[in-house]
Amino acid sequence: MADEILSQEQEIENSENAQTSGNLQRCLTFESNGLVMYMSTDYVIEIINDHNITPVPLVPSYVSGIINLRGQVVPVVDIRVLMDEEVKEYTSKTCIIILTIDGTTMGIIVDNVRQVVDIDLDDVHPIPVRQRKKLLTGMLNMSDGTVAMAFDCEALMNVQM
Amino acid sequence: MNSEMEGMLDTYLFETNGLLDRLDEMLVDDEKKGDFSTDDINEIFRIMHTIKGSSAMMEFNSLSVIAHRIEDLFFFIRDKGIDFLGDQDKKDLFELMFKSEDYLRGEVEKVENGQPLDENIDHFQKVVDDFLARLKKDETQAEGGAPAADAKDGSSAPAPAADAKADVELPTDESATVFIHIFLEEGVGMENLRAFMIVNALKENGIVFNYYPKDMDTNAEEAKTIISKGFFLAFESLDQANTAEELLKSQPHIKNFEVIDAPKQEPPKPVEAPKPAEASKAAAPEEKKAAPKAAPAAKQPAAAPVSNGPVKQSLISVNLQKLDALNDLVGEIVITESMVTSSPALKELDQESLDKFMKSARQLRKLTDDLQDISMSLRMVSISGVFQKMNRIVRDMKTKLNKDVRLTIIGEDTEVDKTIVDSISDPIMHIVRNSMDHGIEATKEERIAAGKDPQGEIVLSATHTSSEVVISVKDDGYGMDPEKLLDKAEEKGILTKPREAYSKREALGLIMVPGFSTNKQVTEYSGRGVGMDVVRKNVESVGGIISIESEVGEGTTITMKIPLTLAIVDGMKISVGDSVFTIPISNIRQTFKIKDDSDIIRDESGNQMVEQMGEFYPIVRLDRFYNIKGNYEDMKDGILVWVEASDKQCCLYADDLIGSQQVVVKPMPSYLANFNLKEYGINGCTILGDGTISVILDVLGIYNAAIENA
Repeated sequence: MADEILSQEQEIENSENAQTSGNLQRCLTFESNGLVMYMSTDYVIEIINDHNITPVPLVPSYVSGIINLRGQVVPVVDIRVLMDEEVKEYTSKTCIIILTIDGTTMGIIVDNVRQVVDIDLDDVHPIPVRQRKKLLTGMLNMSDGTVAMAFDCEALMNVQM
Repeated sequence: MNSEMEGMLDTYLFETNGLLDRLDEMLVDDEKKGDFSTDDINEIFRIMHTIKGSSAMMEFNSLSVIAHRIEDLFFFIRDKGIDFLGDQDKKDLFELMFKSEDYLRGEVEKVENGQPLDENIDHFQKVVDDFLARLKKDETQAEGGAPAADAKDGSSAPAPAADAKADVELPTDESATVFIHIFLEEGVGMENLRAFMIVNALKENGIVFNYYPKDMDTNAEEAKTIISKGFFLAFESLDQANTAEELLKSQPHIKNFEVIDAPKQEPPKPVEAPKPAEASKAAAPEEKKAAPKAAPAAKQPAAAPVSNGPVKQSLISVNLQKLDALNDLVGEIVITESMVTSSPALKELDQESLDKFMKSARQLRKLTDDLQDISMSLRMVSISGVFQKMNRIVRDMKTKLNKDVRLTIIGEDTEVDKTIVDSISDPIMHIVRNSMDHGIEATKEERIAAGKDPQGEIVLSATHTSSEVVISVKDDGYGMDPEKLLDKAEEKGILTKPREAYSKREALGLIMVPGFSTNKQVTEYSGRGVGMDVVRKNVESVGGIISIESEVGEGTTITMKIPLTLAIVDGMKISVGDSVFTIPISNIRQTFKIKDDSDIIRDESGNQMVEQMGEFYPIVRLDRFYNIKGNYEDMKDGILVWVEASDKQCCLYADDLIGSQQVVVKPMPSYLANFNLKEYGINGCTILGDGTISVILDVLGIYNAAIENA
């Protein structure tokens, strides 16, 4: 999967000259709960799949547990549960995105990782409905016609349920 | 400031703080005895000498000047012998030394914080000088007329170079053909070291020469000689001298220099040699100026004992992060090792190869064990440093508050993780201060009236249990009255439940609630609260707990229990459903199975208990406690683990026992701290041999959550 992203990244780099204007940010797009979301690649450390998650007792259901990432113990949050409050099956496409947010390393479980794209922040619109969990901060139309939501990593840290 | 300077600054701070600590220790000890030992005087002299030297090098003027003054003072005392001082003098000297130490510490702190140093040091300088002058007056014979302070004050009264030039006396060096006579700029300070730096600079350029005074790098007294008479470089060849001349032009702090041809004459060296010793009866610094004009080299024997410079320690300071990284790595090695030795692939081997393998594996095991022990011990430091500081605080407050208190220290050799020492130093200090201020009765009469020893006592103790360090501060003073504390808290509006609902323990705990600040009134009530909330925060930040016990009229004991962090523990793995938990073996008394459900005793609300060795213990079902689906419902299918922590005992019910393993305790990720897992006995985890993670159970936490607060 990493290779895939890499090659996509190269493609984007090639086409970058075409869209030099605006306030560009390189973002990773992924799918979860049928939504397409993106986050800045600044947060992303790596993407792993098929990992053995150790459950931790007494935590809310959206905290799947902890994983051993090369000797480092990393908590994993299932954002699918966080958004839907319903435990989902793991498929071959399910993967964990490892993030560093304010120096804290954590993983989030998503349905599918798409690609890395450059997003012009000036094109992002606010979400016109009131949100309960405030995990998404904006939306925009992608070039392929789909609508992507801005996933707020900082908000993830402060989620209280 | 470039990185090299920063490195120097680090070293400087480390060294200077170390020296001041040593000084403090000696002073407190000596004051108890009421006298300085000769060794200590020598050591104080050396300490001051080193501080002066290094401070001047770093251009911290105030530090170097004050240290210089004290050095002079101790030079005098050393010379005269301590018995020269009367009792009152000694007392004053202690007072002065404690003051000086504080002053130096204050300045060092300013350096640490990057603040500008004290510019106006005249006042303090004068205090030291006056004291020295007084001592000198006491002993003055004929030459006492010259004010000592002025004469020896190198930086404020440098001898004009012109005068000195008139009577240039060349050092004796038979092989030399050419001398270069160098004067430093006036008032640069630490002339001997500056001169030595110039000498070194020349040597680095491959020039061969001798220099005079010979002991300029080690003997600070030479600074005066260099100020008044300059210093000499002796060259065998003119070529060398010329090269040196060129280089000297680019050296800093040189006022002027001249090249002089060496005269042919016999050195009067042997005759001069005894003179300094003889002359040292006179006030030392003046004599330095007068005596060894012709033979600076002759001074060497006299100066030798002084010149040891810094006290040699076979210690190095290491970045704590590197140590942590090392510890992590060693932990990983231990885990990997057990991964290898328990690898299923070994089953493929025939018996003979397996035996050979196991033999090597055992050897490896021994080595990794040793490695682990050493890497763990690297972080451990004795707590005595922190305790020593308390000596000083008690001493100072004793004088200030006019209370007679003795500090008893128990277990100062206890070794504690470095990070813990750093974080408990302030809390301990705070508690000791409070005990001194509010705990111990204000007057002797009061104590006698209460039927106590007139001398108050504060006991500072540290002990080790297998998993924690227990540090307690106990005083035999007033004690605290819970009712008064409740009154006070009510007044402040910080009670969170009806007054009657507060237990005694909770009432005492009020002093650690933010907002329960102290003022005059609380002092009267013998209440405390000067930042006790901060104390608690500090202790809790290292995972410790703090508790207060107090009886009115008997005193107060504040106990801090702090876990040993970063520990590698022997753990017992147990399974509950699909989860694997680890219990520290040190907590386990026994594991057993029950034969029959009838062994379980229930109370009226269904709590389960079991009898073991004639005592009854509550049972905590881990599957229900942690809300995990266990493998068995019937308790006779699972196992019971009889555990104890502090004085609490209970039995944990789990599905199966898996086996024991040494594990590295890793903290739970900080993200999970939001969920209060700690209160339910989960505050660490470990990575097992197969790479999976196991949660480490904290028996005390489970007990408190499941039984105490159920």
